[in-house]
Amino acid sequence: MELLANLQLGFDVALTLQNVLYCFLGVFLGTLIGVLPGIGPVATIAMLLPATFALPPVSALIMLAGIYYGAQYGGSTTAILVNLPGEASSVVTCLDGYAMAQQGRAGPALAVAALGSFFAGTVATLILVMFAPPLAEVAFKFGPAEYFSLMVLGLIAAIVLAHGSLINAIAMILLGLLLGLIGADTNTGQFRFTFGLPQLADGIGFVVVAMGLFGFSEIIANIERRARREVVMAKITSLFPTREDLKASWKAVLRGTAIGALLGILPGGGATLGSFAAYTLEKKVAKDPSRFGKGAIEGVAGPESANNAGAQTSFIPLLTLGIPANAVMALMVGAMTIHGITPGPQVMTERPELFWGMIASMWIGNLLLVVLNLPLIGIWVKLLSVPYRILYPAILLFSCIGVYSLNNSAIDVALALAFGFLGYLFIKLDCEPAPLLLGFVLGPMMEENLRRALLLSRGDPTVFVTRPLSLALLVVAAALLVIVVVPAVRRKREEAFQE
Amino acid sequence: MAAFSRDLPCPSRRTWLRALIFVFGACVASAAPSQDYPSRPIRIIVPFPAGGTADLLARQIGQTMSEALRQQVVIENRTGAGGNIGADLAAKSKPDGYTLLMGTVSTHAINPNLYPKMPYDPVKDFAPVTMVARMPNLLVVHPSVPANNVAELIALAKARPGALAFASAGNGTTQHLAGELFKKMAGVDMIHVPYKGNAPAVTDLVGGQVQVMFDNIPISLQQVRAGKLRALAVTGPARSPVLPELPTLAEAALPGYSIISWFGLYAPSGTSPQIIERLNREANKALATAHIRRRLTDQGIELAGGTPGQFADFMRAELVKWGKIVRESGARVE
Repeated sequence: MELLANLQLGFDVALTLQNVLYCFLGVFLGTLIGVLPGIGPVATIAMLLPATFALPPVSALIMLAGIYYGAQYGGSTTAILVNLPGEASSVVTCLDGYAMAQQGRAGPALAVAALGSFFAGTVATLILVMFAPPLAEVAFKFGPAEYFSLMVLGLIAAIVLAHGSLINAIAMILLGLLLGLIGADTNTGQFRFTFGLPQLADGIGFVVVAMGLFGFSEIIANIERRARREVVMAKITSLFPTREDLKASWKAVLRGTAIGALLGILPGGGATLGSFAAYTLEKKVAKDPSRFGKGAIEGVAGPESANNAGAQTSFIPLLTLGIPANAVMALMVGAMTIHGITPGPQVMTERPELFWGMIASMWIGNLLLVVLNLPLIGIWVKLLSVPYRILYPAILLFSCIGVYSLNNSAIDVALALAFGFLGYLFIKLDCEPAPLLLGFVLGPMMEENLRRALLLSRGDPTVFVTRPLSLALLVVAAALLVIVVVPAVRRKREEAFQE
Repeated sequence: MAAFSRDLPCPSRRTWLRALIFVFGACVASAAPSQDYPSRPIRIIVPFPAGGTADLLARQIGQTMSEALRQQVVIENRTGAGGNIGADLAAKSKPDGYTLLMGTVSTHAINPNLYPKMPYDPVKDFAPVTMVARMPNLLVVHPSVPANNVAELIALAKARPGALAFASAGNGTTQHLAGELFKKMAGVDMIHVPYKGNAPAVTDLVGGQVQVMFDNIPISLQQVRAGKLRALAVTGPARSPVLPELPTLAEAALPGYSIISWFGLYAPSGTSPQIIERLNREANKALATAHIRRRLTDQGIELAGGTPGQFADFMRAELVKWGKIVRESGARVE
């Protein structure tokens, strides 16, 4: 009953005209910046912080939170339409979403992404309401050893991501790991592969790599295949998903929501892992995994649900403990401070109207996003019929502005272009960039946690198998490895026998 | 809503034209005499990410100063290399009063002693404007650690050398060096476990993966108030108003121990003294009236202020002090 009372308090706060308006403003801005490639929620929230001085704290936080999860919705739009992932979580959406767009099915892809996100958002909000405090404790059970084992699992899952040659996938993961090493080593403070450039001291940004490898390389590749571009525009079919599409996606949405919500709670890499994990799972449970990467709708529905669920549950550590799980949450801490709320474990009890009001607003925000986004699908798809010579230079320009805005750094733009050419090379060599990106994200975290775990165990490597959670993750990883490798080996042997 | 329409203008053709004129104007006007100052927006470079303490302080003061100076004050976050990238950018900017830096104990006292190759000189390349704020670090332990005060912690560490681990926000941060200084002065051994920033370190501390931390006060204070961490002492030279019952490390067991984190406003060296004086006056006014003064104080952050000279003296003393701490700790970044 306390739950209902809390919910009522939340909706009382969130449903005032003013707060609904700010919620709408937030998700609208979020959608907008999500659609603009590269311009992320961090830059936007930072710029809007001073503008919120004059607002009541609840309204300000409702709006800022709206920008964050609104951007998750918007981010999938460019990923699907033009193969430009705005942030880590939409990289996997590119794989099948862009393939669908090329087949003229951008509409259904966008619609499924929006509906899946709405469902995931609703469920994740419910989870927040019911289990936020106990779930926060989960973050504490995850020490360095557990993180390391989780990253191992993630890397093995990365192999499943690829649909081409196994060797290529492994090579790309390793290349990603190497790129991830660039920058100052957390444990010793040593600079690695920085070539004396202070701009590389903190490593290369994820968006820089993703934007180059996916977006820019695709633009370069498109220039040489004029015929295909025109085909894409010719056969845009229906805007909305068919009955078969929905039938194929609903289970993927459920699974994606579960995975995303769970991983979103973990500070650090959790939210990123969510969409990758959801994609891997969909590919594994599919009857015909070969459809993935060629426009399988489950490959859009699962990850999109996962990333939205994760976006909501990543508020758990912030709201219940006052500990930010990522850069956006760190900004929310700043916003709370400005408004005289000290983020910490007491927010829930001392400022219940803020805590429950924000949670209730997230559900309202998700509803607003669906209402806002479904009608927009038609407009986005029309955008594809803008002549290539106008559309793509514009996208390129916006992307460069976006990359620059990340860190106000011109070197980042140059690096993104370099990765664009590298990505073009990968297209020619038939190597997929997705495993590289996962290696790039997970590698540094894996190394950091491996060394930290060993430091804390005073050099005893058994720590990874004596801690039950860590052991469980490693067992799952080993099982996954067997599932991946055995069929591949068998196929090779069959080929060998045939010769 | 009114607040937003002002901040998010809809660019019409005329605005673009005006922007263009403004850019040209800015180029021409950069040599204008200081009595016209400021005739265009001022930027404050923050060498750390948005949302952190340095960023919050800059945005707060910037907001108030911009009203007094009748010019926009723009905050630009230029992160990287422990703050060196942003500080270097400010050092190499034109000394016309339109580029300022929110420097910190890291950019102007620790890094010059830590990095073998510094892109800028903290003394020669900057004209101090004013100290902005300072805060002590807080010695906190996980509640399971059987030590209720500093003496008991030292005894515990002596009885079991290397058994305790202390977390930090990274190599060469105040959290790290405060721990190293503690080890040295108390004659104990603890393992240093660096993290990428405060948040993950505090998470592992609250989760009991590590036992000890010399954390910046704002985050830990909340965990202490919620009973998730136990505070043993503050690292500063005096007790903190937010935890008046808590002794300083110097009082408790280690006479002479003193570490604080601080933030200050700088201009590139060569900026005219009139401009520095004007900025100092406005910054001090902003510090006195900033509407979040009490809120920051509640979190253990003390707003400072003072003359450029006082700040310069303070910084020189800090450079010497940290030089000694860094050398003795053996901390390195290369």
